[in-house]
Amino acid sequence: MLFISRKTETAPCEVEVSHCFESLHAHVKFLNGAIIHPGDEVLIHGAPVLAPYGEVVRETRTATITRASKLEQVWTRLRGDFGFMELCEFSFSEEVSV
Amino acid sequence: MNKVEQAAVAHSADAGNVEDALDAGNYRQAVIDSESATAVAMQNTLLTPRFYTTDFDALDAIDVSPVREEWDRLIARMKSDPNKGHFKKNADWEQIDWDGMDPKLRAEFTDFLISSCTAEFSGCVLYKEMKRRGKNEDITTLFQLMARDEARHAGFINDALREAGIAVNLTFLTEKKKYTFFQPKFIFYATYLSEKIGYARYITIFRHLQKNPQHRFHPIFKWFEEWCNDEFGHGEAFALLMKTDPRLTRGINALWIKFFLTAVYSTMFVRDHQRPAFHQALGIDPDWFAQSVFTKTSEISRQVFPLTLDIDHPRWKKNLKALQRANVDLAEARKNGRLIKRLFASARAGLAFVALLTIPSIRNKVPERTRLEPVY
Repeated sequence: MLFISRKTETAPCEVEVSHCFESLHAHVKFLNGAIIHPGDEVLIHGAPVLAPYGEVVRETRTATITRASKLEQVWTRLRGDFGFMELCEFSFSEEVSV
Repeated sequence: MNKVEQAAVAHSADAGNVEDALDAGNYRQAVIDSESATAVAMQNTLLTPRFYTTDFDALDAIDVSPVREEWDRLIARMKSDPNKGHFKKNADWEQIDWDGMDPKLRAEFTDFLISSCTAEFSGCVLYKEMKRRGKNEDITTLFQLMARDEARHAGFINDALREAGIAVNLTFLTEKKKYTFFQPKFIFYATYLSEKIGYARYITIFRHLQKNPQHRFHPIFKWFEEWCNDEFGHGEAFALLMKTDPRLTRGINALWIKFFLTAVYSTMFVRDHQRPAFHQALGIDPDWFAQSVFTKTSEISRQVFPLTLDIDHPRWKKNLKALQRANVDLAEARKNGRLIKRLFASARAGLAFVALLTIPSIRNKVPERTRLEPVY
């Protein structure tokens, strides 16, 4: 059963959203040192973190980490290699016309 | 418990790292802008960056000693931050009449800005994750510096979007997100190529507009030179990383590289041809542009890849065009729900891709020294 069962855990995290002219970024840091493995899902609780333009917002939140089963982990690793085009950047979306 | 940063340096463009940038003094002005901007109804665009994980133990195990001298010089230059302060608007930034812009051009240019912003943003998320999870100081230093550049670029594009009345929405963080996995080598091939092709694209547009300024329909193109020099520098770092382990560019991995090159070049060709108004406004023929970018990228990639694609082969352009036509037909068949046409178009696209992939590549002897300068 271990092979296909999924476990969830909660972790405190710091969310940082910068919506500034020179830095547009958003990061999540787990404060208890939790590590994310392939196929895991992360859900941060609470209302969306909104940073108005020009602001940096840092909030401490709780996250639920749904651990991928061993099977999913192996599958995510295998599939990842074939989804490499996701990593490439092009100037335009894939839509044929906009 | 929102926490708002206090002003520390005059302008965040002058800050040396992400953290300092967030403490900058232009923050207050930006808040005022933000208040006035809320008065205008903004179109909302949800940014959807991707979340990745990789083999962090393998990243930590990288030993840059074989390229130490070149590595240290590159990192020193990135630390000196030659583009610090560059990405802010000055008198060269003319106001654009967005409402007066041809709707087709406006839609395509907006697509360009949003796609570019998402790409920079995703790069920032990926690099920051590598910085945070890594323990190898050489590697974490590099990724922190690259995350700084990407966040800076994203902020700059975001500002251009705001002028167009488009606000990016960063609420994705509270959505459930799944972390996909890539081996470090795939991240190296893909990001190396993205950074170098990005450089080749931007510098080609920049040089073209230097000669033909009447086609510069938006001031953001004036910033392309420094922008793409950052991209070039990031590509250099990935080239050096690949040089640390010869196995990354040998044997089966050489086949992966050929596959990557073919996939990336042909995707670029297809996507550019889907934006005719953008290219027409710039006065750029997409066929000429593609070939010009492929030539530059191939020349640059000889620093580390064991092969280049034969972009002058008679089958090359013919099958790029076939792929592009099949892609248009495929999208139309999908829209109209026509299964047979869809299968037929998919098969044509597949055949064209195979025809491109089977063009014999040109062997390349990788030079001893890797580092290049952006000279185009």
